[in-house]
Amino acid sequence: MLAVMLREFRMILRRPALLGLVVVLPVVMLLTLTGIFRAGIPTGMAVTVVDLDRSDLSRSITRMLDAAPEITVREQALSLSDARAQIVTGHVRGAVYLPQGLERDILRGARPEIVIFYDNQHMSAGSMVARGARGAIDTAVAGLRLSIRQGQGEASVQAMVSIQPIPLQAHALFNPAFDYVHFLLAALVPTVLQIIAAAATAYAISLDFGPGRHPQVLARMADGVLPAMLGKILPYTVIFLLILGLSDMALYGWLGVPLRGSLLLMATGAVLFVLSTQLIGAAAFVLTRDMGRAASIIAVITAPAFGFMGLGFPREAMSQLAQAWGAVIPGTWYVQLRIDQSLRETPLDISVWSVVWLGCIAAGLGALVMLRLLRLRREIEAKA
Amino acid sequence: MSEILTALRTELRGIFADRQVRLIILAALVIYALIYPFPYRAELLRDVPVVLVDLDRTTSSAELARRVTASEAVTLRHDAPDMITATRLVQERRAYGVLVIPEGFERALLRGAQSPVALYADASYFLMYQRVMQGAAIPLRQMGAEVEMGRLIAQGTAPDVSLAKVSPVAQIEVPLFNPAAGYATYVLPAAFVLILQQTMLMGLALVATRRGSGLGHPVWRILGRMGAWVMLYAALLPLYLIILPALYGLPNLGSPGAVLMLGLPFVLATGLLAQCVAALFRRGEVVQVVLLAVGLPFFFLSGFAWPVEAIPAHLNWIAQIIPSTAAIDGLVRVSQMGATLPEIGHRLWHLWGLVGAFAVVALWLEVKARPAGNADHHGA
Repeated sequence: MLAVMLREFRMILRRPALLGLVVVLPVVMLLTLTGIFRAGIPTGMAVTVVDLDRSDLSRSITRMLDAAPEITVREQALSLSDARAQIVTGHVRGAVYLPQGLERDILRGARPEIVIFYDNQHMSAGSMVARGARGAIDTAVAGLRLSIRQGQGEASVQAMVSIQPIPLQAHALFNPAFDYVHFLLAALVPTVLQIIAAAATAYAISLDFGPGRHPQVLARMADGVLPAMLGKILPYTVIFLLILGLSDMALYGWLGVPLRGSLLLMATGAVLFVLSTQLIGAAAFVLTRDMGRAASIIAVITAPAFGFMGLGFPREAMSQLAQAWGAVIPGTWYVQLRIDQSLRETPLDISVWSVVWLGCIAAGLGALVMLRLLRLRREIEAKA
Repeated sequence: MSEILTALRTELRGIFADRQVRLIILAALVIYALIYPFPYRAELLRDVPVVLVDLDRTTSSAELARRVTASEAVTLRHDAPDMITATRLVQERRAYGVLVIPEGFERALLRGAQSPVALYADASYFLMYQRVMQGAAIPLRQMGAEVEMGRLIAQGTAPDVSLAKVSPVAQIEVPLFNPAAGYATYVLPAAFVLILQQTMLMGLALVATRRGSGLGHPVWRILGRMGAWVMLYAALLPLYLIILPALYGLPNLGSPGAVLMLGLPFVLATGLLAQCVAALFRRGEVVQVVLLAVGLPFFFLSGFAWPVEAIPAHLNWIAQIIPSTAAIDGLVRVSQMGATLPEIGHRLWHLWGLVGAFAVVALWLEVKARPAGNADHHGA
């Protein structure tokens, strides 16, 4: 088996296509993803203000909107239809409507309306724009209420208490800096690696077990078909674990994502994760014995896997069937384990279940590959 | 002309005669159409479970809890005696937030002092965090306003004056497009464009890697192939970008004409890019693995799910070379936001620019691959 492994390492160095797939491709993809998310939460997204009041108050609200970190007041629109057109073309992501007579109506107690319009088709950006605008207007309105009360002779401390009888102290649990960018990155890295590891392993196996190749040579070298296959797979396990480790060093070291849990559990999870994704590739190949069809199977399982992990739309809100499909994909559990052990500081007795599931998936896939190989053994040995 | 037709026929044969290409261009399109939307069928997050830690145990705290449970976004599913028990429920993913009503909540309210409550929302899931915050903040704000009004009225202020004092402005939020904030409505229109691009890149690049030397002038050959792609995708693109979204019940504000006008340069640019990809990676297996791996990064580079404002300038520049970047933005604005062609004109020109650039590269590759011989046949 060792001989097969050594031969494989030499092969990787000799073949540019293989080296490109297992080293260059994952590294370039991880660098690209890191590049996309490195800047963190977006700031300064453009909004427009439809200021029909043009009073001191409307100007001060505009200034407060501009001061909110999420948004920048880009242009003044002359009318609502003008603002809508700017949102449709993508010049701005939202608009704030300040009606005519705003200042006067507030003083008269007529409760005028301030309206925030935002582009919710681009939901991630739209909701951030809405949050920024809401916060700025909240602050402006609170200032107004304070000055109304103070104008009527209330002491400022008392007025502060009066305008907010039930203040809400909001805390972001597990993620106080609200740094969900790096969190997203921590999940995207395994997702992309899962695709590459499965496909590259299938490709490497096809080079020896494919049509017109000579698996019996390997089998003789390793003293059996099973050790030959293991010797084929393990060199890539080492390479992908190294890549995963390097990207984690960047993530938890350089980008400073907190790592609060058990390193041992994380490492066990990583090994099982890489092995099971490789076994997806191996199983796809030994079942079809054709790289083209194997690639299609791998594509169907790993390409849509990100959606099933529940980072955007949570798993708990999915249908039972979608949850079950997500549960057989190794990435789902590995990503959950990473989040648990890095951000959430989940106790081991809860988190260990992710590792158990990963182990089950690896064992199941391993058994599938083995059964198939035992069937192929006769065929291969007949050739030898 | 006949050389163009020959190239067109050869390309169509290359697509339909090859089992694997057929599988990618046709079957994969169907399978992805079923699998990708699968997680998002529920569309909306309702009644996100939250733990209640009520340390006050009075009528006022019970009233507050009742109001929070009544909200659409969250429901107080569990009761916990303390924060430690509550945190564990969240770590087990049985709840996504904790509402703590401190001891003395009611007493402080009756005294006319401030009576704060604390909300811990699970911030490791962005969407859950938002829902929990929303779900608890609105009823809290309402109850606060009622308390403040009650106090003003008790002091002898007239009710309408008190209302204007408590809330001098009516603050309204109007989401334009996707007003229900459905997750499928948000993500699928963009995902379908990307799936179309990736399957097309993969299929056509495979055809290119398996192509023997063709006849005729390189220009006619490429024109013929472009004709074949347009014929094939004249059927597939409307199916995927107009009919499929309709089957999933996604809103559609755009005119089919505008979708097709954008679709034409998108298909041509993607097909020509496939020729370049095939020439770069040569082997069919390698092409497949590479294109599989770049799908997700392409999606985030397009500036749709992750706002373009946050993408570094140099990466964004590279992203503009990928057809999906301009196509996703243009097509989503047309179909979901009702943009007219002049409103997304820059995207249209962008895609035609890509067609021109990739055509030059593809032509150069074609000439380089077969330097002499066939060039004399043109004009036959």
